[in-house]
Amino acid sequence: MANKKAFGKLKGREAMVLGIIIVMVILFSILSPTFRTYPTLVSVLDNSYYITLMALGVTFPLITGGVDLSIGTGLVSYALIGGYLVIHKGVPVGVGILACIGVGLLIGVFNGVLVAVMDLPPFLATLCTCMITRGLGPALCGGFGVSWPSAISEQGAFRKIFKFINAGGTVIPIGIVFMVILVVLMSFVLDHTRVGRYIIAIGSNKEATRLAGVNVKFYHMMAYMISGVFAGMAGVAYAATYATIYPGSGAGFELDAIGGAIVGGVSASGGVGTILGSFLGVLVICLMKVGLPFIGLQANWQQIFTGIVLIAAVLVDVVKKKK
Amino acid sequence: MKVEKIKQNAFVKKVGFNRIVLIFVLLLMYLAFGVLTGGSFFGFSRISNTLNYVYFLGFLSLGVTFVIATGGIDFSIGPVMFCCSLVSGYCLTSYGVPMAISLVMSVLIGVVFGVFNGYLVAYWKVPPFIVSMASMNIAKGIAAVFTKTQSVSWPQSSTADGWYRNFVSMNGIPIGLIIFLAVSVVCAVVLNKTKWGRYILCLGSNEEAVRLSGVNVKRWKMLAYIICGTLVGIASIFFVAAYTTVQPGYGDQYNNEAIAGCVMGGTSMAGGLASISGTVIGVIIISLLQQGILALGFTKEYQYIITGLIVIAAVYSDVSARRRKN
Amino acid sequence: MGDIILTMKGIDKSFPGVHALDHVDLEVRKGEVLALMGENGAGKSTLMKVLTGIYKKDSGTITYEGKEVEFKNTREAQDAGIVIVHQELNMLGHLTVAQNLFIGREFKKGIRIDDKKMNEEAKKLFDRLNVSIDPKEQMSNLTVGKQQMCEIAKAVSFDAKVIIFDEPSAALTESEIEEMFKIIRDLKKKDIAMVYISHRMDEIKVITDRVTVMRDGTYVGTLITEKCTKEDIINMMVGRVIYEDPKTESAVPKDAPVVLKVEHLNAGRMVQDVSFELRKGEILGFSGLMGAGRTETARALFGADPKESGDIYVNGSKVTINNPQDAVNCGIGYLSEDRKRYGIVVQKTVAENTTMASMKDFMSGIFINKKKEKETAEQYVEALATKTPDVDQLVVNLSGGNQQKVVIAKWLTRNSDILIFDEPTRGIDVGAKNEIYKLMNKLVAEGKSIIMISSEMTEILRMSDRVVVMCEGKKTGELDISEAKQETIMNLATREIE
Repeated sequence: MANKKAFGKLKGREAMVLGIIIVMVILFSILSPTFRTYPTLVSVLDNSYYITLMALGVTFPLITGGVDLSIGTGLVSYALIGGYLVIHKGVPVGVGILACIGVGLLIGVFNGVLVAVMDLPPFLATLCTCMITRGLGPALCGGFGVSWPSAISEQGAFRKIFKFINAGGTVIPIGIVFMVILVVLMSFVLDHTRVGRYIIAIGSNKEATRLAGVNVKFYHMMAYMISGVFAGMAGVAYAATYATIYPGSGAGFELDAIGGAIVGGVSASGGVGTILGSFLGVLVICLMKVGLPFIGLQANWQQIFTGIVLIAAVLVDVVKKKK
Repeated sequence: MKVEKIKQNAFVKKVGFNRIVLIFVLLLMYLAFGVLTGGSFFGFSRISNTLNYVYFLGFLSLGVTFVIATGGIDFSIGPVMFCCSLVSGYCLTSYGVPMAISLVMSVLIGVVFGVFNGYLVAYWKVPPFIVSMASMNIAKGIAAVFTKTQSVSWPQSSTADGWYRNFVSMNGIPIGLIIFLAVSVVCAVVLNKTKWGRYILCLGSNEEAVRLSGVNVKRWKMLAYIICGTLVGIASIFFVAAYTTVQPGYGDQYNNEAIAGCVMGGTSMAGGLASISGTVIGVIIISLLQQGILALGFTKEYQYIITGLIVIAAVYSDVSARRRKN
Repeated sequence: MGDIILTMKGIDKSFPGVHALDHVDLEVRKGEVLALMGENGAGKSTLMKVLTGIYKKDSGTITYEGKEVEFKNTREAQDAGIVIVHQELNMLGHLTVAQNLFIGREFKKGIRIDDKKMNEEAKKLFDRLNVSIDPKEQMSNLTVGKQQMCEIAKAVSFDAKVIIFDEPSAALTESEIEEMFKIIRDLKKKDIAMVYISHRMDEIKVITDRVTVMRDGTYVGTLITEKCTKEDIINMMVGRVIYEDPKTESAVPKDAPVVLKVEHLNAGRMVQDVSFELRKGEILGFSGLMGAGRTETARALFGADPKESGDIYVNGSKVTINNPQDAVNCGIGYLSEDRKRYGIVVQKTVAENTTMASMKDFMSGIFINKKKEKETAEQYVEALATKTPDVDQLVVNLSGGNQQKVVIAKWLTRNSDILIFDEPTRGIDVGAKNEIYKLMNKLVAEGKSIIMISSEMTEILRMSDRVVVMCEGKKTGELDISEAKQETIMNLATREIE
């Protein structure tokens, strides 16, 4: 009975966010006829993949009670490095993609060492990594932008992972399928494997977890590694969607992802959060991003709303705790 | 034995051992860059020219020093600074608001953000990092919406309203440096000689003990954020005075650099320990480092990487020093 | 009664300045519940920490199941079958009960954690112990009592042969205690040995077989529970010779005005309907065992924690105290038992700490008058004989006693007339202790009034003019010093609950 309540609570947050999404979609659709067209749907999804991937990854450090601010500039850097290898060094696209994810993993390990082993405050450590990754890509690739192969070319086939265009020109956003698969997969990792279990435990009570004989440092690091790998994948998604990568961009991307996760119910103090929640939270942010212009508001209102929603989401937790 | 310990403490206290090290590092860096660039880095005009573009960073650093002293953090300062100059600049150029009022507005917008951040952190106990993220978003959003995502160009020196650029330098006199140092002195006085600074530092060190001494800790904590906001507003004036053009959507990187200056200067991330003179030297080191890297022919990307690594080193030394003490 | 499973012999342990355990013996048999009793600081917890490897013993032997052992950490002790059920719970609130029970040793099916099996095993365990807890419930949703049951279940699941209960009933309700006793009786039948640390006399009588009493870090003796009375145990617990002269009569004149009156103060479970009066120039001792609610009373009175109800009168007029600011303005000063956390700002100087509560008297315009600050601090350093090279010394560099003097100076600078000393001499060496006592006597002679919370019986008897005794969040008695004896106080402090 009480278990149902505990379960129901998490569900409640997700249901609430889902409700918000539905209300937003209905609202935008009523206010703007162009919003309810198929291309708009595709554009919402297209814009959401890299943010979603970042959010899925960053959920893990957030649940440990930390944060990873390096994912935004990171993903641009990784995409830049991967693209540079493909275009200028002639490596196959597959290798370029692996390089992209691999560098992400390396930065994840680096963050993990800083936070878990050297015990630096997470946000400050990853703020530094944010600076480093901002410089890393351009420094390795000579400071120029890179264009990944176009979708029509043979090399650009990877881009169909996210957006499949058939012979008749119909666009099928199959990326969403991959997102759903990843959501299921990462939910499994978080809820049903040791890695996830201990990451929640660390966020809940690190000392008690250590006393239970868990290798806390390893699993703490693991959270940042997951975040890094997903930032790498976000780099691939970004390249697939936008093709051209400009050095020096990417600052602030992480805010959308972290904001989404927190809106989706991940607690800033650790221990609480679901992958599904993060996913839905990100959709809210992306809908605002794409949808607001349709109702005559500038896209940048999204940022203001995100800020307000963020505070509101946390205040709900604060007030709840007071009780 | 006891006497010896006292002597050493007194020495460290009076002269500021860390600061001596910092100044030493600064000189060494200056020399190294000077030699490596074949002397071109040495010139006064080169240096003062360089400095013109970093005063705003100094103000940001000073501001965030107060927040870090309370044990908090604010990394919305960069975007908030941009918000200040964009909104007031837009009023200036598009609505014909007089220059003087625009400048005052710049500062006021900073103050408003300071109040907002401080209130949420102190009275609602929202984690500073969330508040920073939120106000970063809000600042960027407001700036972009207000200016319709167009960049804003403040008047050039030659125009009638161009007098504001004299804040940075006038006929080769580094006015900016003078103002920056004067403000630094004021900050140092506030931090070390007034009740405000005393409470800010003490609550950063042990908030509960200060509360149990019957002090209204919430008020003083909020004040730290307001001071920070004010200095961010001032920083925005020096930013436009140096660069004139501001683009919405940017400003993030300055957070890192400003916090870097603070941490380099020996302000402890755990709160309670802060030094304005340290921050001043720290921020100069960061700027010099960045200019030096450029002068050596590296691109600004290396700037980011090296600065990032240096801050990690500084934070690590702070953390490990604290761990040794415990 | 079963065979001996565990023997501790001649255990000796010293900390800097304290001889915590002085050749203590202990013997535990299979299938028995051994009560370990003693006043606060008698060394019970230290002894158990030595047993489970948290502390290293200086000398003595531990024989367990016929072999001499020395555990390096709790994990080793656990693997050998000795488990502590702590008073503070090491739980992970965001995980479920079953997940907590098996943290660090999950059942697995491939890479997947087999939560189903864990739930089943947990269910079996609970069934065996006869408790009704849903293994799928989130830990933070359980009551403290249920959480305690989980800790016990966890101990049992380790195949423990010796289980140590460290004040297990402190947070439990009557019915929860009953439930726990049922489990303990069950475990007894399974030949598990248990050590039960508690202050509650009635529980001891009900559940234990033998009672071992400790006092001041030494072993006093062991009694068969059935054959002894409460008085026997208390006599063994307090049967020390008081070296310092106890006060024989109150130094406060009968007609001294009441400076502080507290009526029906309520603040949670630890402060229930507490009323008392404090007279001018009086030292009012607050005695009781650990967890009696004395500190909580002081904190609620001072506004440090929220209170539910209660009236406070200072010098006869009713005052509202909602936060420490209000209290300080009423002339109340609080010296916490945990100086480092609540008393001083260690990274600041003596002078800065001295003026902390009265900053506005040290301002000239907007600036702090550092000269005046220094003079005042120096004045108090001299008056209180604080040992510090100068007032610019960081407080972290001072000894415990001198840190305490800095806190006293803080409140004297504020001109507080009512001072609450919470464990004023904890962690302070003997010489400095006497100085603090002298100082307190001097303060009351000057017309200040003091509430002294102390867990040391000698301190209570030596310093107080009157003694308030608390037990389980309630005031259980008030004694004039002339009628306060160790036995009477201990009796009130351990009163059975109906």
